[in-house]
Amino acid sequence: MANVVETQNLERVKSIRRVPQEEYYVPGHRTCAGCGPALCYKLVSKAAGPESIFLGPTGCMYVANTSYLSSPFAYPWMHCQITNAGAIASGVEAAYQVKIRKGKYKGKLPNVVVMAGDGGSIDIGLQAMSGLMYRGHDVLFIMYDNESYANTGIQTSPATPYGANTTFTPPGKAIPEGKTLFPKDAPQLVIGGHPAVKYVATASVGYPVDLINKVRKALNYKGPTFLHIHSPCPKGWLFDAKKTVSVAKLAMETGMWVNYEWENGEYTYDHTPKEYKPVKEYMKGQARFAHLTDEHIAKMQAFIDAKLKAPGIPVALPVQGPRETA
Amino acid sequence: MAKEMFLAGCAASAFGAKFARVEVISSYPIRPYTGVMMELSKIVANGELDAEFVHGEGEHAQVSIAYGASAAGARAYTGSSGVGVAYAMECYSPAAGGRYPIQMIIADRALDPPGDFGSEHTDVMGCRDQGWIMGWAETPQEAFDNTLIYYRIGEDPKIMLPQFCCQDGYFVSHIPGKVVLPEQSQVDEFLPPYDPPDPLDPTNPTSHGPQVYPDQGSAIDIQRAQAHLDVPKVTEQVMDDFSRIFGRTYNPFVEEYMTDDADFVFFIQGAHARTARFAVNHLRKKGVKAGMVKLRFVRPFPTEVVKECLSKFKAVGCVETSTSYGGAMKGGNLIHEVRASLYDSPKQPLVTSFMAGLGGEVVTLNEFYNMAKVLSQAIKDKKIKKYVYWLGFEKEGI
Ligand SMILES: Cc1ncc(C[n+]2csc(CCOP(=O)(O)OP(=O)(O)O)c2C)c(N)n1
Ligand code: SF4
Repeated sequence: MANVVETQNLERVKSIRRVPQEEYYVPGHRTCAGCGPALCYKLVSKAAGPESIFLGPTGCMYVANTSYLSSPFAYPWMHCQITNAGAIASGVEAAYQVKIRKGKYKGKLPNVVVMAGDGGSIDIGLQAMSGLMYRGHDVLFIMYDNESYANTGIQTSPATPYGANTTFTPPGKAIPEGKTLFPKDAPQLVIGGHPAVKYVATASVGYPVDLINKVRKALNYKGPTFLHIHSPCPKGWLFDAKKTVSVAKLAMETGMWVNYEWENGEYTYDHTPKEYKPVKEYMKGQARFAHLTDEHIAKMQAFIDAKLKAPGIPVALPVQGPRETA
Repeated sequence: MAKEMFLAGCAASAFGAKFARVEVISSYPIRPYTGVMMELSKIVANGELDAEFVHGEGEHAQVSIAYGASAAGARAYTGSSGVGVAYAMECYSPAAGGRYPIQMIIADRALDPPGDFGSEHTDVMGCRDQGWIMGWAETPQEAFDNTLIYYRIGEDPKIMLPQFCCQDGYFVSHIPGKVVLPEQSQVDEFLPPYDPPDPLDPTNPTSHGPQVYPDQGSAIDIQRAQAHLDVPKVTEQVMDDFSRIFGRTYNPFVEEYMTDDADFVFFIQGAHARTARFAVNHLRKKGVKAGMVKLRFVRPFPTEVVKECLSKFKAVGCVETSTSYGGAMKGGNLIHEVRASLYDSPKQPLVTSFMAGLGGEVVTLNEFYNMAKVLSQAIKDKKIKKYVYWLGFEKEGI
């Protein structure tokens, strides 16, 4: 796919005071109080600005945001199936390539932004996302990560942490941990197999300026880019709705979340604490982990330790898989 | 000057897409439709058509790419066969409900098992209730013409519906026939550029496909239903324009052959109509008053036209190339539509159906003669024995 048309050149925001005042994600939605993904949407919208087209696969950010005749989106927005955001985005981008070439649209290529949940990105939506990345469409694919299938009532997804109590992985006598699997590594899935992708980053709603700048950087790249954004969900993770930002920050402080950029093969890390707090501190703040024993938490700690030694590099699991017996 | 070429159905459809000046094409390989994309990719590679050619990673993506492109204001084209058609099922309703008039060329193929490559209408017939316009071409010429005709109907501002533009796998897709290609200027006159009212556009923000409450859903559904009710009128105008501009005429909904004094007719769609015509000629020579009625659209189904047309005959044999397992009529799909259309007609012909050509088997002249025997006998007996006959599997030897 030849990217023949210009994309926007969005400026870097230096501090929280310089963040644009304009809102493009406006009132008219009904997400839960303290919703991390909603905050993510607000920040991404500010960063992208009005020259954008947003695509929203089925998930909380579709169902809790749009109701016919009322929409919080002040730019063009389109629903996708949970399965096909990558493909629809490819079609939208392809349409603009040809429209601009033929003079049917005067202006720069709009920012085509997908806002997909973890299910819509690396589970049922993986194929379409990978197809887009492989073909090299000029699209920013954002995986807002609430670590669950939230819209359908908090079921496990491939992004759900080990040990989480979800409605599909309830802890019980036979399976005391709840979720037994460790999560897929979303950015590595993108980086590992898509030569057209030059920029991938992780961000967190706890660090808004950084998040905005990563969105802008991604949009300024021609070709596909991917952001994995940690977006705590008070309803699913079971913490007080006031604490979304502090939960996000604690994730970073304990190593449960790592912020980094990958640009043309080079990794840069940011917000890394001098010393990591134990993951237990993070886990005890969320009732989804309330059933775990010290032994389970130690497994999580081992996983995180191994990951932190070489972030961004695949890690051999320090624990057995679900089909192995001890 | 119009030009004549010898093209198989796949290539004819590709030329149709070229003349329609499609802007975004999405592909994925599956026989027998693959030839369409093979031809079209050459056309694009040679610079004869300015389009984005997107190689989807599957049919589900293919249809999604196409309707995303359509939502963003481009004329979009895609296609498939068999299990590929089935795989994209999730995307049909959003494309129709979103009123994105994309076109999907289908060279039909049997579904698995038993993994048969042959032509059968079952693949796309299984998707007939998703709100798409749908019908079959009998020849490469009709395949070419339908590409233009379907876009023109689907993109009419009153309609705005996607289209399954079907042809029989192999029998049409792979058998060359004479195709008269028009001047581009004629096509431009017939088919104006795609211009949706509210495309995704930052200068005019709109939301596509927001969530509705249950009590709001039917208000949207009824608009889709209304569009289908409006299709026949638009089709008539389109066909008038078509004959005026291209000098070729199709009866918009059904084509009758030797029906003036026919006792019975074969009711049929697609490629096997060619054999049916030969069979009718031969039967006529033997003094049997046979005729044929070829259906041009399955969706929307031309109920009134079919009712009026078929009420004239003593018996109707639906030649079925699709299955409807466990259906009311125990066999294929056409008989359901035909019997429903005739329900309130004061004159009721005898209606039966023949399962023919499943899995891509040729429907032979002999089989048509056997069908004729069954229909003649039914007329004599003044009743039909069975709703469905499986040709070649009947104890009585039909
Ligand atoms: C094909 C299909 N399967 C299942 C569903 C049901 N469904 C609706 S929303 C949703 C959860 C989406 O989860 P995710 O992508 O993680 O987004 P979130 O709701 O967490 O924001 C599911 C499974 C669907 N809409 N389509
Ligand atoms: S369930 Fe979670 S993601 Fe969904 S709206 Fe509520 S807080 Fe947001």
